[in-house]
Amino acid sequence: MDSYDDLSHSEVNDLLRKWRENNERKSSDVVALWMNVLQAHSNKYGNEKYVLLEQIIYAMLDCHLYGLAKGLIYILSLEFPRSLRVMRYKAAALEAEEKYDEALNVLDGIINADETNAPARKRRVAVLKAQGLIHEAIKELVDYLKKFMSDAEAWQELCELYLQVQEYSRAAFCAEELLLHQPHNHLMHQRLADIRYTMGGIDNMELAKTYYCQSLKLNPDNVRALLGLFLVANNLVGHYKSSGSSKRKEAWKLSQWAQSRVTAKQREAKAKLGLTDMMLSLSLAE
Amino acid sequence: MTELLLDPNIRVWVFLPIVIITFLVGIVRHYISIILSSQKKIELLQVQDSQVMIRARLLRENGKYLPRQSFAMRRYWFNNEDTGYFKVQKRAAASQNPMTDPGMMTDMLKGNVTNVLPMIVIGGWINWMFSGFLTTKVPFPLTLRFKPMLQRGVELAYLDASWVSSASWYFLNVFGLRTIYTLVLGENNAADQSKVMQEQMSGAAMAMPPDPKAAFKAEWEALEITEHRWSLANVESDLLATDSSNSL
Repeated sequence: MDSYDDLSHSEVNDLLRKWRENNERKSSDVVALWMNVLQAHSNKYGNEKYVLLEQIIYAMLDCHLYGLAKGLIYILSLEFPRSLRVMRYKAAALEAEEKYDEALNVLDGIINADETNAPARKRRVAVLKAQGLIHEAIKELVDYLKKFMSDAEAWQELCELYLQVQEYSRAAFCAEELLLHQPHNHLMHQRLADIRYTMGGIDNMELAKTYYCQSLKLNPDNVRALLGLFLVANNLVGHYKSSGSSKRKEAWKLSQWAQSRVTAKQREAKAKLGLTDMMLSLSLAE
Repeated sequence: MTELLLDPNIRVWVFLPIVIITFLVGIVRHYISIILSSQKKIELLQVQDSQVMIRARLLRENGKYLPRQSFAMRRYWFNNEDTGYFKVQKRAAASQNPMTDPGMMTDMLKGNVTNVLPMIVIGGWINWMFSGFLTTKVPFPLTLRFKPMLQRGVELAYLDASWVSSASWYFLNVFGLRTIYTLVLGENNAADQSKVMQEQMSGAAMAMPPDPKAAFKAEWEALEITEHRWSLANVESDLLATDSSNSL
């Protein structure tokens, strides 16, 4: 019995490590594993224990287990009395309890101690966003980006915040910045195309068409981009009713092409569905 | 030729002590360097500079995916004569002499105290204490060219090259114990001497502090001569072409 126990808790540790490395949150699973298996063995892992505790703390905050999480934070703060990382857990706990002002105070303390602490600055933005103060959050994030210009995540967040307040041209700027960081990600092209399509007007439609095409070129299975291309092309056909016919013809061709692709995709999906249905009935019959 | 026979006392009083001393000195150095090491404090301005450089480089490399107007707008922001980022931001030229920077001084001193000093002291002591012994023999024949490497301190012209002298045995240990240190202390420990030696070789290039002013100027020039080539100009026809070739 003992040996089985031993085996399983080391396996659990491996599993948690894998989740940590892959950034898989799975909070309720993590908490359950901690409660049932790992808690009794937590002293066996040497330095890995602290990383493990960090994972557990965030999982507990996700699951609204504030009391337990605070207990673990207290243990860590005894171990590392002036660690900024432990301060960050405290801020996270306060945030989870919606004590936003106190959380902001803790975060300010971290930033005062270490100006270059990017995660704390980003958390400040997140706190403002959670309070619904979108404009303040945008201001804060712009300040952050003035200092940390090549943080793609922050650009993405700013893009979404601008979309929320319908500042499309600024959102487009952020999306372009994202594109500079990840030019081979079809979703980035698709995002910029979405924004351009929403902005409207012939020039923006042309750009939207181009970026939808690029997105489809990078990933032919991007159905959202396919649909976007179809809409954009139809829109352009409408715009070019009077002007030069070559552009109109091109847009028309694209629209036809998109339509045929969508139909083909649908047929494929249906065929697949039919196949699974047939296999299901077959297995039932057996 | 008669075979040499080593006194067993050499094994007990020379061979093993050298191994143990080198090993323990490495361990002690590891812990001393942990005590002395100071967390390098990064300046916000430094972070900002490096991030700006990255962004400018990305603009140069991937700017072809942006429309001409967006590209020009960004380049203007960086390079414009009056308000461009690279023109406006004045950075002090990096101090030419590292001696004037007190932080750098203490770092260098600490590095010397933990690395160079024990090396000289222990090495000298071992040379003095255990000089002139043959400690062991490698179990294969070697050519004459190995003699200065393996028989430091024992200059006998007719001795077989596969004998190892005490001083050479010390150096073999200094370089050979690395894997044992990683086993005992974990990765990235400070006990390893050979790494220090490599750093001393290539350290000259690293020691120069990066000069943001020069870097900005170089990036400004590179950005200035970058031409915008809109790489998505033909993407629609490409798309239609690839698809028709696929369906055939």
